[in-house]
Amino acid sequence: SEMSKDLLPGPYPRTPEERAAAAKKYNMRVEDYQPYPDDGFGYGDYPMLPNKSLHERDPWYQWDQPDMRHNWGQPMHWDFDMYIRNRVDTSPTPVPWHIMRKHFLIFLTTMLIMFGLGEIYPSYRPVGPKQYPFNDLYLEKGGDPNKKPPVVTHYEI
Amino acid sequence: MAAGPPPTAAQAYRPNRFVSLPAELDPETYDLSPEKRRAEAERLAIRARLKRQYQLQLNNPNPPAIIEDPALIRWAYARSQNVYPTFRPTPKTSFLGAVFAIGPILFWAAVFKADRDRKEKLIQEGKYKRPFSVF
Repeated sequence: SEMSKDLLPGPYPRTPEERAAAAKKYNMRVEDYQPYPDDGFGYGDYPMLPNKSLHERDPWYQWDQPDMRHNWGQPMHWDFDMYIRNRVDTSPTPVPWHIMRKHFLIFLTTMLIMFGLGEIYPSYRPVGPKQYPFNDLYLEKGGDPNKKPPVVTHYEI
Repeated sequence: MAAGPPPTAAQAYRPNRFVSLPAELDPETYDLSPEKRRAEAERLAIRARLKRQYQLQLNNPNPPAIIEDPALIRWAYARSQNVYPTFRPTPKTSFLGAVFAIGPILFWAAVFKADRDRKEKLIQEGKYKRPFSVF
């Protein structure tokens, strides 16, 4: 693009002057500007913004880009495309996360154990072999209609 | 051992990377100190300056064809072209690179080799039933 090199992201800032220049470049306060730790992962001097999704931004404020809830020139989160309103939502839930997780795992393990036990020890009413009418379907199975079919009785009196 | 003070509502909530703390439980919401107000005022000044620049371009009688957003350009540049110059091989990055790049190749090579060896052994012993045999 035609932006000058000092307006584009660069390497990790080492001196306080570089930090101040980077904060000014990204339109942030020097106290707010916090780059990613210098672990060699390729972040450079990009600011580390709080990991909050766009669901948490004020829906009633007049954003410059209302669908992205983003103002012109506002620094974008590194994972901006993950935190859009169609995707990950980090807004606070009425029930805390660890309680939801605990209830879900209790339910899931209980159901899985019960299903597993049902497979190992099945339980159903007694059954016998299926009984067919018309002398065990003699004609349907291709028996000769002129011959007398063998009489089949399934009961004992 | 005496139990410590009972956990605050914010601590009982235990926010993590999937949910953030509600504003009602966050003590920062109720912080009305002058430092916070000055910080908010500075942020508002930056925001107002940016809004003014944007509105001037937007309501220009001869508007430019595209009003490009420098934040978006910087974001795209940082994620694509600024990664290689700022990458540095460290123990952590080397380990992760080995695990995620070389690991799967070696793993699947071993799996396929073992599977083929097992099938070859069955064929040599004559115990292998051809699945799609035309005979």
